[in-house]
Amino acid sequence: MDDSLDNWFIREILVHERALMRYLLRSWYRREEIHDLRQDIYVRVYEAAAKARPAMPKSFMFTTARHLMTDRLRRARVVSIDAVGDLDALNVLVDEISPERRLSARQELKQLTEAFDRLPERCREVLWLRRVEELPQKEVALRMGIGEKTVEKQVAKGMRLIAEYFYGGGHTHRSRQRATADAEHGDGHGQQQAD
Amino acid sequence: MASSRQIELIASAWLARRDGDGWSTQDQLQLDAWLRESTAHRVAYLRLDAAWRQSDRLKALGAGVPAGVVPERGAWGLAPLPESHAMPSGSGTDDEPSAPARIAAAHRFSASSRAMRRASKSRPRRLLRYAAAGFALVVLASLAWGWRHYAAVDQASYRTAIGGLQDVPLPDGSMITLSSDSRILVTLSRSERHIDLQQGEAFFKVAKDSGRPFVVSAGDRRAIAVGTRYDVRRDAGDLRVIVTQGVVRLESDNGPGGHDRPSTLLPAGSIALASDAGVMVNSGSVQRAEELLSWRSGFISFHDTPLASAAAEFNRYNTRKIVIGDASIGTLRVGGNFRWSNAETFVRLLELGFPVRAVRGKDTIVLKSR
Repeated sequence: MDDSLDNWFIREILVHERALMRYLLRSWYRREEIHDLRQDIYVRVYEAAAKARPAMPKSFMFTTARHLMTDRLRRARVVSIDAVGDLDALNVLVDEISPERRLSARQELKQLTEAFDRLPERCREVLWLRRVEELPQKEVALRMGIGEKTVEKQVAKGMRLIAEYFYGGGHTHRSRQRATADAEHGDGHGQQQAD
Repeated sequence: MASSRQIELIASAWLARRDGDGWSTQDQLQLDAWLRESTAHRVAYLRLDAAWRQSDRLKALGAGVPAGVVPERGAWGLAPLPESHAMPSGSGTDDEPSAPARIAAAHRFSASSRAMRRASKSRPRRLLRYAAAGFALVVLASLAWGWRHYAAVDQASYRTAIGGLQDVPLPDGSMITLSSDSRILVTLSRSERHIDLQQGEAFFKVAKDSGRPFVVSAGDRRAIAVGTRYDVRRDAGDLRVIVTQGVVRLESDNGPGGHDRPSTLLPAGSIALASDAGVMVNSGSVQRAEELLSWRSGFISFHDTPLASAAAEFNRYNTRKIVIGDASIGTLRVGGNFRWSNAETFVRLLELGFPVRAVRGKDTIVLKSR
């Protein structure tokens, strides 16, 4: 197992998840498939990078995303009129949808804090005790008067939610603003993304 | 093959177990085997692991907070972020508020504005003063609101241009999404929340308040709810009501002859069409009802829809109109989901799949048979 490939993936690909989610939400009509679509994109990028690292990781990821969506459209529909998404929206320049911008450590902490604050009550408490006060899971269970298994479950849940909020930006209710922005630009191409 | 969500669940379960006590070599071997099984497992694991390691940095939030206390949400404007934290805090330590004071302040402050919280930094005295001022403001505001409440007039009108879409939050917690080319007049009183739909279409997410019914009127008809989600659309004399949650009562004023027109109860999933001829209710699944409301996210969907209706639907959202040039093509059936701002794609697909030719003008796209 190539460990440096893992690091590359985290550093060059995962950091763009927010932009990727915006792109997917804009281009793909079926919300419920986006999670799965994202996984497929990551798998393809990871496997390709195992052979040779792409020179421009972000562009490569977006190109992969576009190919995957086009493939799915072709497979899903026989009748041409039934376009699931809006194929034209797929032809966007990567830099238009996500201007290059690395977050400072402080901004990252801010995002983490926001992600943390969005956790459900119990989950948030477990994560505080485990992560900030650094108590072992067993201790957290004692402190909160709940079972160790429950603590473990809450840790797993917190992990998933933090990943969703921190990397994905907890995107779901942004879609409407985006649709409006599209309308204002008439053709739905390359509009600036508000953060 | 497991779904991506299942894989994510399994990956998080592994990580949580590893985070716990008693992780053995045996466990590690099993995890390694699972990771080797497929790249999908590996990327899901990598993503969660990276996020979990990131969350280690939350430690910075714990500085100055006593052990065992979990601060309120959003209390962080007070707790200095690490940059200021890393610096020695100026002169003496007298200025530094004790952690409990900071937390107590956070409690008191949770209802106040973020701007004030930010302004207050970490001086407890100043903080208290701000808190008092904030409290006074809240009292004043609620008095003002109460007064208006009793005086029963809180009226506002909203409108959207063609292609526009607007969220209108109401003070009671309800939310209205106004569709393209629509106009409403909102009147909130002590006994009723009244929305006059003067033109177009709107979706209503109604906050529960059994004492104040939520009434959407359009001409001589009213769709009434207590706490629910529904859509009302007005087309000339016709009215369409779609209910996606709860129950809505559809009422009409007396008919032209003066005879009573019965009110109709619409449960979730209903699509009601009211015209001069009466009310026709189609009860289906909520999912189907939602489909008709995809305009809220920028899409319109057709399902075996006559081309003439599909064109009319596009025209609700666009100033450049699609015109049916030959009556014969108006009856062609189309299906699919489209971004309503992109009529051009729709027309191009029509040209590809149907015996249709488009004549593009500045303000219109005329469809003719080929």
